[in-house]
Amino acid sequence: MLSVISYPIFVLSVIASLVLSISLFPVGWFEFRPEWLGLIVFYWTFRAPAQFGVLFAWCLGLLLDVLEATPLGVNALGMALIAFLVLTIHQRLRMYPWPQQCLMVFLLLGINQMLVHFLKQVFGGEDAGFSYLWPALTSALIWPVFSILMDNINRKLG
Amino acid sequence: MPGLRLLLVIIVSAALIVADQQFDRLAPVRSTLATGLTPVYWLGNAPYQFSDWVAGLFTTREDVKQENEDLKARLLILERRALKYAALASENNELRRLMNSSELLDDRVIVSEVVSVSPDPYSHEIIINKGRSDGLQVGQAILDAHGLMGQVVQTSQVTSRVLLVSDSSHAVPVEVVRNGLRAILLGTGDSGTLDLVHVPDTADIREGDLLVSSGLGGRFPRGYPVAEVSLINKEPGEPFVSIRARPKAQLNQSRLVLVVFPPKGGPRPEPVASDSEQEGQG
Repeated sequence: MLSVISYPIFVLSVIASLVLSISLFPVGWFEFRPEWLGLIVFYWTFRAPAQFGVLFAWCLGLLLDVLEATPLGVNALGMALIAFLVLTIHQRLRMYPWPQQCLMVFLLLGINQMLVHFLKQVFGGEDAGFSYLWPALTSALIWPVFSILMDNINRKLG
Repeated sequence: MPGLRLLLVIIVSAALIVADQQFDRLAPVRSTLATGLTPVYWLGNAPYQFSDWVAGLFTTREDVKQENEDLKARLLILERRALKYAALASENNELRRLMNSSELLDDRVIVSEVVSVSPDPYSHEIIINKGRSDGLQVGQAILDAHGLMGQVVQTSQVTSRVLLVSDSSHAVPVEVVRNGLRAILLGTGDSGTLDLVHVPDTADIREGDLLVSSGLGGRFPRGYPVAEVSLINKEPGEPFVSIRARPKAQLNQSRLVLVVFPPKGGPRPEPVASDSEQEGQG
């Protein structure tokens, strides 16, 4: 758990993740882009479960809905679900070694992707097999780097 | 406690999704949020603009001179064509007037820049930097230098979202330039191919035929090139031929696009209104 939470860092990280969600990734490789906002929600609920939770994740998800032009509420629900699951397991999660943490990231973001994909399909999206799970995998792979980087920034500036 | 909140959030989300999807009540909310998110779009586009600017710093004088000369040559060719076009357009309008048709060919366009592409790899959408403050409305057609690209599906104050013709939920009414054969062109979800559907196997259509928007349906203006027939596959026993077409517009390359404003007094981009108008005309 972080001793100090730097709110400016929090705001900046959210803006950065929103920008990364729509840009700065080679066109044609969009399938493999990590779910940046999901990672941010995961990180902040994991590090500061007392301050950030379901409602706040829902609000961020709503912004992602606007950016992705999905029906309002779809990504919001997915993000709230991530936050809820992190809140239920964060004490155990802290004890886990890196590989196991990565696995949890994969599972939680995978659940989020499945829910979002399911809802999109209900409203007539196209089915592309299991490739919608790629973002969960790439997110899990960059989780150690991402979390160490964020911890360092927090420690320096928090 | 988190469980209670999750329950609350699930109920609110379900209500939002139903209101948005079934009753279409949330367009103002979405538009307001999108306007608030304009800095995000701007930041997302900033690196590309910066790299363009850096690339501009390092072009040599010779390159610029060469480009300038090429552009001048091209301008000359286009001007010659425009001269011919002006004569043709006036002749065309004259003929239309003689036939008592009220519809004159003049579309107003504004130039816009693509600031972002849709982050969802399964939907073909782009975001352009013109919005309601420039007078854009849902349903307007978007062109690039080569042909029809798509239509505006959402507007915020300063940006708009454009659905491309290649999206699997998109359809354009088209006609073959050579003989006026009408058909519907569907997107396939692949930016290089479109499907021409419900063409009977006796229809006169060949590979290489140019398909232009027919203006039926009232959403797209008439006469803009959309695609070129690339493959015709006649299956014996099938009532329709399967026809593939290649979009004329460079859907995933163009950075500058044109937004077409419908001529005054012409069909509005509202689908319901235009349908009734067409029945009235026909």
